[in-house]
Amino acid sequence: MTSHATSAEQNMMVPDLTFEPGMKVFNMKLGMWVFLLSEVMFFTSLIGSYVILRFAHPDHFPEPGVVLNVPLTAFNTFFLICSSVTMVKAFAAIQKGDQQKFKLWLLGTILIGAAFVGIQAYEYSLLVAEHFGPSAAGYAPVGRGMEEGGPIVGGPLYGATFYTMTGFHGAHVSIGVLCLIFVLIQAMRGKYTAADHRGVEVIGLYWHFVDLVWIVLFTIVYLI
Amino acid sequence: MATHAATAEGHATGAGHDEHHKLSFIRTYIFSTDHKMIAKQFLLASLLFLLIGGILAGLVRWQLGFPGQPIPFIGSMFSDTTAPGGIILPEFYNSLVTMHATFMIFFAIMPLLVGVWGNFLIPLQIGAPDMAFPRLNTASFWISVPAGILMLASFFVEGGAAGAGWTSYAPLSANPEYSGVHMGQVLWLVSLIILGFSSLTGAVNYITTIINMRAPGMTWFRMPLPTWSLFVTSWLLLLAIPILTGGLIMLLFDQTIGTGFFNPATDGEPLLWQHIFWYFGHPEVYILILPAMGLVSEVISNRARKPIFGYHAMVLAIISIAFLGWVVWGHHMFQSGMNPLLGTSFMISTIIIAVPSAIKVFNWLGTLWKGDIHFDVPMLHALAFVAMFIIGGLSGIFMASAPVDIPIHDTYFIVAHIHYVLFGGSLFGIFAGITFWFPKMFGRMMSPKLGKIHFWVTIFAYNAVFFPMHNLGLRNHMRRIYDPNSYEYLQPLQGLNTFISIAAFILIAGQMIFAFSFFYSMFFGEKAEQNPWKSNTLEWTAAGHPPGHGNFPGGTPHVYRGPYEYSSPESNEDFLPQGVPPEPVRRGAVPREPGFLPTGD
Amino acid sequence: MTTEAQGEHHDPPYMMIFAVLLIMTMGEVGFAFLSLPKFWLALGLCVMAVWKALLVALYYMHLRWEPRRLWILVAAPLPLVVILITAVLTEF
Repeated sequence: MTSHATSAEQNMMVPDLTFEPGMKVFNMKLGMWVFLLSEVMFFTSLIGSYVILRFAHPDHFPEPGVVLNVPLTAFNTFFLICSSVTMVKAFAAIQKGDQQKFKLWLLGTILIGAAFVGIQAYEYSLLVAEHFGPSAAGYAPVGRGMEEGGPIVGGPLYGATFYTMTGFHGAHVSIGVLCLIFVLIQAMRGKYTAADHRGVEVIGLYWHFVDLVWIVLFTIVYLI
Repeated sequence: MATHAATAEGHATGAGHDEHHKLSFIRTYIFSTDHKMIAKQFLLASLLFLLIGGILAGLVRWQLGFPGQPIPFIGSMFSDTTAPGGIILPEFYNSLVTMHATFMIFFAIMPLLVGVWGNFLIPLQIGAPDMAFPRLNTASFWISVPAGILMLASFFVEGGAAGAGWTSYAPLSANPEYSGVHMGQVLWLVSLIILGFSSLTGAVNYITTIINMRAPGMTWFRMPLPTWSLFVTSWLLLLAIPILTGGLIMLLFDQTIGTGFFNPATDGEPLLWQHIFWYFGHPEVYILILPAMGLVSEVISNRARKPIFGYHAMVLAIISIAFLGWVVWGHHMFQSGMNPLLGTSFMISTIIIAVPSAIKVFNWLGTLWKGDIHFDVPMLHALAFVAMFIIGGLSGIFMASAPVDIPIHDTYFIVAHIHYVLFGGSLFGIFAGITFWFPKMFGRMMSPKLGKIHFWVTIFAYNAVFFPMHNLGLRNHMRRIYDPNSYEYLQPLQGLNTFISIAAFILIAGQMIFAFSFFYSMFFGEKAEQNPWKSNTLEWTAAGHPPGHGNFPGGTPHVYRGPYEYSSPESNEDFLPQGVPPEPVRRGAVPREPGFLPTGD
Repeated sequence: MTTEAQGEHHDPPYMMIFAVLLIMTMGEVGFAFLSLPKFWLALGLCVMAVWKALLVALYYMHLRWEPRRLWILVAAPLPLVVILITAVLTEF
């Protein structure tokens, strides 16, 4: 291990020595990692379909920024990255046993995560008002800043893939926010200590994974 | 090892003692967190679905054997939209075919293999007190219940149950106007999405348990083969199910909110659905056979009283099947108009995957060779598994070759093949497993007499049903056809179809012997001793009987050797349990023949 | 590996990673609107996205300090992702 092998490593709780050494991490963490692998495959089926459909029908997918509001979403991306850093800060605080800071950072994560979902809902409402909907029948955007009645930009596969991918990501963020609220309630009851804060680490893994998926989605949906 | 042993003794008190107070009825039988009770719940539920799937198969066979004639006895029970006066309508026939496959694959065989044996065997065979996440395990069963109810309910909604085949090929399944079924298709999709969560939670649990909760000394290459195969199967489930879930969600959106992922009318790609479906579907095929292979390996080694031939080769074969299983999905799509380069590579990879399967077959034969074979009911089923799997595997080689697949694609040859591996393979494996572990589950032996009657009826009727289907297929009898007599060249085959149908009714009726024996033995069977099969694995030798909460009353057991040390020269008995320390075993016994030497280690 | 707290703590460089992620995101948005050929734009953006994703996984998800066997486990689905997408792409 490197000299960086530090607080993070100390807190990988030693597994129960009644058993043959397996993964050398505690059960819940291993379970979360295994679950995240299946999440990778789930997003692969959605993102992969997008890549394949886009490759097959490039005319359905307009240039970046023509339909989607890139500045708004870039701002939202900033929010999600912030929520990741508040999450690791909360984790670092509870590692040192600093309950006050831990709860504050956790509360911050919840608020920023909720704000992300809110901004995404707002973005959806703007896009739907511009006739950019998920269904093939409701697809008629003319592009940002263009006059109504102009030529339609892109094709219905754009709307379908956009809403499916970002929608399921948004659902994951929402579930993450709910889980974090649960963790906060547990924290208020004093469940987590410097010696045992496995729940925080595990929910953190999920939260960062959701952030990681957004990094990929933001790039391939909004920027390419 | 020594340190593990020391710490294990220190912790030993923790395992057996926590749940001694009596739990309420609901916590014991309904929302139990005990892996053995959850296994029994899965067993009863999936046997019920096996029965439902069998009845649907019977209706399908009635239409094919006696087209246009009213169903006897129960014909008047059907509504006017399904079978007026007992005569099956074409739309209803489509639903029957679809739902037979759906129930059998997703609600009967999958839970019978993974849900039942994953839950029952994994903790017992690796020496763990329970699953890593017992409450998640409860959830895994109870998530699958609404899925089953929704799927059953789809028969009673407007338009009837889904009729686009179990593969739900788009655009037939993507647009309600094409198949005439909207609500049924939506329920089908929602039900399978929910069922996916159940499989997923199960897989996470099994993987974590096997990696992190093996008893001291239970190294990877001392694990019994059922556990090995369930471990690998869990990986396939974990990584394949989400792909299907994603595809099902897109198809659901196509059906309900009018997106056009798979609908060519809006430039969608039906071929994309086929790729997504089979990228899940081929690992699924191995999900349905690998656990049965594991069960059969255990039974064959035990009932031949010999170490399994080539234990390491068996494990590596399971692992390589799992790896190769990801690169062969295209062989289901040779006729879809796919890229020929891709088709050729899929053909080659499919022929390669026959190698590990053949290794397993030869190892079973090697295990039997010069063995002291006991023809008990589990062994009969296990031997039938090997024989039927060989036939199913050989017909698989036909289809793997793209040029040969062109004439037999979507004919009854395919139906024969799938039933030889899924009934002849998986279901015989399941019967071997149930009859073998029944004493551990319920504390009583299953009646050997009824078991043998059931076995012989099944094996004869089964071959009478499915072997002639090869012949039908080679004469281009289409799969999923409502009335073959509408084609002149198929009319001479009506006699064969009627024969198959009568054999199928005998086959279904024969399963009632099993059902009776199952419930009769559960209450009135002969009381089982601790280790009725003289087995080596921990569930028979170390666990309580029947095991209470915590499984191992004396604390976590220690493991000193591999699981198949039968007829070992180190022991005076013909078996040497995994948990017996090497020291007290008497030495000096000479191997009877070189062939009986235990493998390695 | 002990559970006892040691005297000195070195947190992983959380804030520095945060700064890098922010700068790279801004860089990405700028890069996307350069007038380059589509191929190079897509390639550059993908490289940056993978880089950012790796930073999150290695530092925020602490993968850097996890045992080697967990790395292998985590890498398991990646070949499958590549196989599925590349194989199907050859169809179109």
